[in-house]
Amino acid sequence: MRRAVATLLLASLVAPASGWAHATLTRAEPAEQGRLEAPPTEIRLVYDQSVTAPPDAIVVLAKDGARVSDAVTQAERGTVIRASVTGLVRGEAYTVRWREVSADGHLGTGVYTFGVGVDAPPPTEAVGASGMTWRDDVARWALFASLALLVGVVGIRLLVLPRTVDPRVERRVHLLGTLGAVAAVNAGIIGFVIRSANALQVSGVDLLYADLSPFAESTRFGTAFLVTTLGFGVCMTILGVAWVLDRPGLRWPAFLLAVALVWSYPLSGHQATEPNASILGQVADWVHLVTAMLWVGGVLTLAVVVWPLAPDLRRAAFLRFSRIAIGLVGVMVVAGTVVAIERLPAVADLWETSYGRTLLVKIALVLVALAWGGIHHTFVRPRLERGERPRGVRGSLLGESIVAITVLLVAAVLVNGSPPPVETGGSEAAPAASP
Amino acid sequence: MLPRAEIAHWLFAAGFLFFALVLLAEAIVGPDVFRRRPWRAYLWPSLLLFGGVWLWVIAIYSTFSTLHLLAHALWAQAAIAAGVVQLAVVRGRLVAPAWSLVTAAGLFVSGISFLVHEQNGWLFARSAFLHHLIGWTLVVAVLFPLGAALRPRWSVWAYGFAVTWIAVSVMLFSDRDVAPIFGHLSELAGRAPVP
Repeated sequence: MRRAVATLLLASLVAPASGWAHATLTRAEPAEQGRLEAPPTEIRLVYDQSVTAPPDAIVVLAKDGARVSDAVTQAERGTVIRASVTGLVRGEAYTVRWREVSADGHLGTGVYTFGVGVDAPPPTEAVGASGMTWRDDVARWALFASLALLVGVVGIRLLVLPRTVDPRVERRVHLLGTLGAVAAVNAGIIGFVIRSANALQVSGVDLLYADLSPFAESTRFGTAFLVTTLGFGVCMTILGVAWVLDRPGLRWPAFLLAVALVWSYPLSGHQATEPNASILGQVADWVHLVTAMLWVGGVLTLAVVVWPLAPDLRRAAFLRFSRIAIGLVGVMVVAGTVVAIERLPAVADLWETSYGRTLLVKIALVLVALAWGGIHHTFVRPRLERGERPRGVRGSLLGESIVAITVLLVAAVLVNGSPPPVETGGSEAAPAASP
Repeated sequence: MLPRAEIAHWLFAAGFLFFALVLLAEAIVGPDVFRRRPWRAYLWPSLLLFGGVWLWVIAIYSTFSTLHLLAHALWAQAAIAAGVVQLAVVRGRLVAPAWSLVTAAGLFVSGISFLVHEQNGWLFARSAFLHHLIGWTLVVAVLFPLGAALRPRWSVWAYGFAVTWIAVSVMLFSDRDVAPIFGHLSELAGRAPVP
């Protein structure tokens, strides 16, 4: 019986399956994110293989959700699907939602936009796209927590701890930093897929065969995704090599690269896409993120690396971090205030909008964490300076770390939220370039 | 502009061939002779690591389907992990033969990635056939690092590992985007280029 099952399994592996095929969209007319000067009369999609066109193989939608496309036809041995469109006007953008059934039975899906006499909005703003969901928030939170390990723990090791430390400390810093890089790259990929799925409106197996290229190629968050995925992959490699060769100095390029990569988030978020976006706001957002990561990473390093592994290092590490933490927190608060003023020009926005209320929750949590840090500064620091070994510090540091990581969750919700519309001095607000 | 898939496959084929020749040289002359110049010991783990970084480049250009993106990202991480661990073994930071299991896991993930991201059947076209063949070759080749972990003194594992990569390289060099296999090209596979 076993032999028969094994033979059947082997046979199934080599069985020809010439009718099993999955297609990919190779060309679209009008082009994805294209700008036409005159309304088109037809939408033409070219696939690399023959496909079956369901009735909704091409659905073209106007801004108000009205369908402007007619029934579809196929040509070129089933590799081309066409649909005529009527009633398109100059000055409007349109959404194309396409579906095809490949020979393997899988449903391929995609969405893109084009403009007639106007620039096309990014595909994330296609008609029918949903906004951010809790999944986006969790993915962004995971990303921030990863950066706290990569930028924070590695940065604090380089900036605060002495040049030579216990090998166990070195090992754990390597482990946490590398874990941060691996988690950052994967959280970025998952976040990108989730955000694309919001616009595609598909899930499960259909999402596996969905075309994500318009999001990668035509949006700011797609560009940020491409750059950070490659960059954090390089960080991961550098940290691995630094550990293998026992060259702690090699962590500098990984740390500096990660700090530079954080810049991609202000460049792909509200600080770059809102009508009143400014260079100052982007720089402030970047500084806010980096200092926050260093602060969270510093508290984590003390709690999970220094305290359990290096009793002799506790005093020096705590005192040195305590000194730079004051500066870090000061810069973080000032930079965060600049960003908040740009996003919420009216004070009343703080309690009248959901974005403002989320910001208030974040500020409250930051105050709790700062008060916690203040208690450490006031009560623990003098005792360590006197050479005492106060008890319960590790637990307290872990508590502060948990509050700090909760702050990152609220920050993730805030980043994914929509700030209130901003007046731009009487001129018509330009649409967000590419969130 | 994206390069054709076959260009990326040929670039990797060249890299794998060099990688395989290094492994074969070490298998033929033995590690003691091969490592008389210490840098040689670092050669193949470094190539593995470098290949992993290059796979990230492929991954970020594979957004035409979620499956391609995830498969290549997983594969890149498996290659980097295996490269780092092998470098650590050469360096002496890791000493147990069982670390060879990381390479086995990397090969398994690579094979599965090949199989999962190929959406077509064996005889759909040449590239589909080769993706299936490479995928299964890598899955079967898990035996070699597995054997090296259990019976480190047997040289057959080193030969097997080297020959695996020569085979993978030959298969990748044979790859074409739209080409028949055994004279057969599926009606659904698009139009083959005029010779």
